[in-house]
Order: sequence, then C-alpha cells, then structure tokens
Amino acid sequence: MTLTIRDVTKKYSIKSRKTVVNALNGVSLTVEKGKTLGIVGESGCGKSTLARLIVGLEQPTEGSLNWSGAPLGQGVRNGLRSHHTKTQLVFQDPYSSLNPRQTIGACIAEVIKTHKLRAEDQVNARVIELLSVVGIAEDMQNRFPHQLSGGQRQRVAIARALAAEPDLLVLDEPVSALDVSVRADVMNLLVDLKNQFNLTYIFISHDLSMVRHISDDIAVMYLGRVVEYGSWSEVLSSPKHPYTKALIQSIPEHTTVRGIDFENVLEGEVPDPANLPKGCAFNQRCPIAVPACAEKVPELLELTSHHLVACPEVLK
Amino acid sequence: MSNLLEIKNLSVVISDDKRVLVNDVSFELKAGEAVGVVGESGSGKTLSALSILGLLARGLRIDSGEINFQGKDLLKLSTEEMREIRGNQIAMIYQDPMTALNPVMKIGDQLMEVLDSHEHEIADRKAHILNGLAAVGIADPDRAFDSYPHEFSGGMRQRVMIAMSLLLSPQLLIADEPTTALDVTIQRQILALVARERKRRQMSMLWITHDLGVVANLVDRVIVMYAGRVVEVGTVEEMFKAPKHPYTAGLLASLPAVGNNREKLASIPGVPPKPWQVINNCAFAPRCSSAKDICFSHRPELKNNQTGSVACFFPLGGAS
Ligand SMILES: Nc1ncnc2c1ncn2[C@@H]1O[C@H](COP(=O)(O)OP(=O)(O)OP(=O)(O)O)[C@@H](O)[C@H]1O
Ligand SMILES: Nc1ncnc2c1ncn2[C@@H]1O[C@H](COP(=O)(O)OP(=O)(O)OP(=O)(O)O)[C@@H](O)[C@H]1O
Ligand SMILES: [Mg+2]
Ligand SMILES: [Mg+2]
Repeated sequence: MTLTIRDVTKKYSIKSRKTVVNALNGVSLTVEKGKTLGIVGESGCGKSTLARLIVGLEQPTEGSLNWSGAPLGQGVRNGLRSHHTKTQLVFQDPYSSLNPRQTIGACIAEVIKTHKLRAEDQVNARVIELLSVVGIAEDMQNRFPHQLSGGQRQRVAIARALAAEPDLLVLDEPVSALDVSVRADVMNLLVDLKNQFNLTYIFISHDLSMVRHISDDIAVMYLGRVVEYGSWSEVLSSPKHPYTKALIQSIPEHTTVRGIDFENVLEGEVPDPANLPKGCAFNQRCPIAVPACAEKVPELLELTSHHLVACPEVLK
Repeated sequence: MSNLLEIKNLSVVISDDKRVLVNDVSFELKAGEAVGVVGESGSGKTLSALSILGLLARGLRIDSGEINFQGKDLLKLSTEEMREIRGNQIAMIYQDPMTALNPVMKIGDQLMEVLDSHEHEIADRKAHILNGLAAVGIADPDRAFDSYPHEFSGGMRQRVMIAMSLLLSPQLLIADEPTTALDVTIQRQILALVARERKRRQMSMLWITHDLGVVANLVDRVIVMYAGRVVEVGTVEEMFKAPKHPYTAGLLASLPAVGNNREKLASIPGVPPKPWQVINNCAFAPRCSSAKDICFSHRPELKNNQTGSVACFFPLGGAS
C-alpha cells in the first residue's frame, strides 16, 4: 500500500475580494506503507491544507490523492465512511477541533462506537487505556476541553485519533504544546505504534529535532511546492536548497545560552500566495539567485537517487 | 532595577470544590527584564498568566495572593481600571490564537477595536495597524486587514495576535507559547522584533514556552513550575549549566541528543501528578531518583541561594 499524491493544487477563491489564494501549487509525493514522511516549511506554505486533502476533508482543485490505489476523500463525499477510519488527522489547533460541549471521555468514546471497534461494555475501558497512553489521568475524562491545559488538549486530540485505529495518521504539529518530557513520551509512543502496527505517518512540524527523530523521508515546502525532498539524513545533514539551509540555520539551539543575537537569518518578506511571484517563489529572498530564477519555476530534480531539489543553481 | 511586577503567594482554585490549580506562586519581574516560564504541561503556567490580567475562566478564582504592577495591586482594581491596563500597559499573546481572535470579525476591525478602546496618541490608526502586520512578516497587510481568521494558516493567526499585542507598546508583554506555531525562520524574525522592542523601550517580558532553545537564548531568568508550584528560579546560565531541582534536570535530559542519533528519547519516569491532588510532600518525589523519606512526608519550601532559589531537600550540586 502506498500513499500517492500527484500534481495536487488547491486554490481558495475569496469572492468578496475577487482574489484566489494558491495554497498548493503542484505537489507530488509518495509514501510507502509503514514509512513516515516529515513535512517542514514556512508558515502558510500549505502543510495543513495538504493534511486536510489527505484525510479527505477537502478536495484538491487539481490532481489526485490515492491510498492503496483508491482515491482518498471520495469515501466521505459518497457518504461511505470506511475510508474515514483508515486515515485520521490530528489537527494543528486542538481547541477548534474538539467539541466544546462534549467531555473528553465522551469524545473519544464516540469514535470507538461510530466505528464499532469495541463491544459496548468495553468502550469505557478503552477510553481510559487511550488516555493513559498519552499521560492523562483517568479522572480527567469528565472534563470539557476548556478545562484542560494546552498540552492536555493536544494529547486528547492524539488519543482520539488513535481511538479509530488508523492505518494512515496525519499529525499536524502534534507535540508543539507539550513539555519536553511528555513530548518524549508521546514521540516514543508514536514510534512504538508505528513499529507494532506498521502504521504510516505524515508528520508535520516546525520542530526539526522531532522531524529528524521520526521521519524516514522529509519534504521541505515553500509557498505551496516541495522544494527539497529526500531521506531524513540527507536533507538534514546536507541540505541543498537555500531555503532549507536558512531553516536549519535558524533553529535556536539550547546548547548556546544567550548565544543568538536574533538577527534575521532570512531577509525579505514571505511572498503572498494570492499573488505568486514569477519564477522561483524564493528568488527575491535567495542569497544565490541569478536573473533566470525570476523567469521559470524550477522543477524538482534528482541530485542523487533519493535526494531531490528544486534549484537549478545547486544542481549545476 | 526596580520591580515592575511582583506576584506574592498567588493561589488559583476551582470555585466549586476549592481544588488548587496554582499553589502559592511568588515571583517578580524587573523593569526591562525577560523571564521565561517553563515546566510540566498542566502545571499552572497559563493560569498564572491569566491571573495577572484578571482573565481567569468562569469557575476558577484567585483564592489568595497579591499581584503588584508598578506598585498597584491589580487584584484590587475595578473591572474598568483593569480593562485600561490590559492591552495598553500589559499585553498578552495567548496559547490558542482562536481564543483571542473573534472568528466572525475581520482582522482589521479587531485591531481597530483595540486602538479604539484605549487612549493613545496614534494619529493614522490604519497605517499603524498595517505597519504592525508587516513587522510580524505578514506578506500582504492590506489583504490581512480585510480577512477573517479562518482564512489564515495557524502561524499567520499567531502573528496577527503578536501584532495585536504590540499595537499599544505595552510595558509588559506576556507571551504564552507565542512561537510554537511558526517556522523557525519566522520565529527568528518575531524574536528579533520583540528583542528590539525590549531594548528600545525597556519592555519587560514573561515568556511561557516549552521551547528550551528559545528560553536559552531569549531570557535573563527562568522560572520552573511543577504541579501548580514554582520549584526553581535561576539565571538562564544556572538553569542550563547547573540545574538544581531534579525536575529541571529531568527536563534537560529529555531533549533529543544533537546529531544523527535517533535512539528512544529519554523522559522523566513515572506519571505527572493529578493537578488538584492535595499533597503535603514534594509533588515530584514519586518520580525522583534522589528522593528520600523526608520528601514523601514534608514539602520543601522555595529557598533562596546565591544565584536563585529551589524547592528541594536534596538539590543537585550540593547545598541549598
Ligand atoms: N479556508 C481558507 N480560505 C482562504 N485561504 C486559506 C484557507 N485555508 C488556508 N488558506 C491559505 O492557504 C495558505 C496555506 O495555509 P495552510 O494552513 O495550509 O498553511 P500551513 O503550511 O499549515 O501554515 P502554518 O505552518 O502556519 O500552520 C495560507 O496562505 C492560508 O492563508
Ligand atoms: N477552567 C478550568 N477548570 C478546571 N481545571 C482547569 C481549568 N483550566 C485549567 N485547568 C487545569 O489547571 C491546570 C493548570 O492549567 P494551565 O492551563 O495553567 O497549565 P499549563 O502549565 O499552561 O500547561 P500547558 O503547558 O499544557 O499549556 C491543568 O491541570 C488544567 O487541567
Ligand atoms: Mg498549519
Ligand atoms: Mg498553557
């Protein structure tokens, strides 16, 4: 089984202002079953949009998404919920994705019941088990989302996704609100589950240390496109695209105390997705840009068999 | 330097059953100082911050304590006086941007409302807002001005909120996980912006975060919280080079190793305590490898030492 994303674009048209936001501008990726694809990139480059397309919450404007040969998203549209069980999304913003009027226990139980994953009298035990794997005490199950801390809500969102026993799990910033010790526990849990059940993950995060920890392959996105792709060690140890390099340079390391003077690593503004620049989207901010970069959108080309980069200057 | 903010013995409880969520918390913040707050998820960081602004949710209340800001006890102010301070002198960046942004109101209108509800000397309000949006790296401030929050990515909402918090040049900026939704290049840009603001006009900052890399590089002092209490306070150098509380040391040990090692991540053994459990011993004792009998029968007070303070009978590195 393979997740195949082919030439996907997503446009949001905003009628009131007669503009079109180009959230995704032609993304192609494949993820083999049992593998983890890490996705990193600029804020607003389309990561969460891609996540919503993968689980079928929204449809692409162009292109296709397939999971083990079957188109993703169709299930929901046709009223078949089957596909919905197999893929789950942990939303970036757990606050808006949890029902405020439902206790967290009821919210997890609902998933188990909808998909008939346990006998009626086993549901509660399963809820408690799921809460405990994410480090939430069982007597919190009667609380409402607003009565939890940010990190507790994030863990409930993970528990709810795991409740559906998915094959393909899309995790959008799943550990950003957790303290480093709880984060380590959740990451270890994700790795164990993946190994035990051969799960496939899409792991979206701004935390490159966690992306490095869990990913087999990494895709780096900029303004709706993949600009670099390859095995985790290649992309992180020998980044080639100037944006990837800037990203890695910007990580605030805890090994330096007061060591950063917080100057911008990257100059210039992030381009506007409603008004795409001509040529390479990064060219106006790029330290190695040549005039040709403002003419043609660079293709993602092979540097080695498992490392691709969309920059003719570094491929030279 | 004089103290801008002094929190004394603050406790926050659930009104119904008086269960304690923030327990006897005290700390101070000097004018121009940046202090980081780190600690366990659920340890009371957000509730402590919300208490300063008088914004606790219904069902929660401050049971005891004082919050002195520029010599005034904020807990004694009227709703009206508090509203004037909020946003104007003390601003907050919230952990969930959607709790601060109104989903059915355009961004521009929301930012205008902030300016309208306070006294200031800004002449061209719209230009001021557009500048503020550009400063946090929003590509097209005019479009943003006319957009609704749901049209934005998570990180863009976060930046709108940061722009909102800086609109009126507050003396104290409280930031709750302000940059976790941002990629590291934009995070850099935001941190550069607040560091500049801080230098330019002596703004103080209380920076709540789980990102220890940001803490190490941004703040002067660090407060560590566990189970509703402050367990350690120290300079950023002390905290990273010689943590005194075993919980602080456990946090640092949970960071992934630098380099290409992908072994199982270390974490603190055991489970975090239930937030409301009433305990008269050290809350960390059941998870602590250096705990002795006294840790299970008595509660260590937060004691000062040369460089900071720690609440532990057997602090690491010797004498407390
Ligand atoms: N419903 C919508 N209507 C209009 N524009 C949208 C909508 N959803 C997303 N966008 C736009 O699409 C672009 C991509 O957004 P997306 O949320 O996918 O980014 P992201 O990579 O997840 O960013 P972040 O790291 O900040 O979460 C942004 O410019 C955003 O403003
Ligand atoms: N409205 C509420 N009613 C009851 N309990 C609450 C309420 N709000 C928060 N709590 C509880 O109070 C404790 C402290 O919450 P707080 O949000 O301050 O934690 P935090 O330190 O900010 O954690 P995080 O790092 O996860 O954001 C948590 O255990 C939480 O479950
Ligand atoms: Mg996103
Ligand atoms: Mg919090």
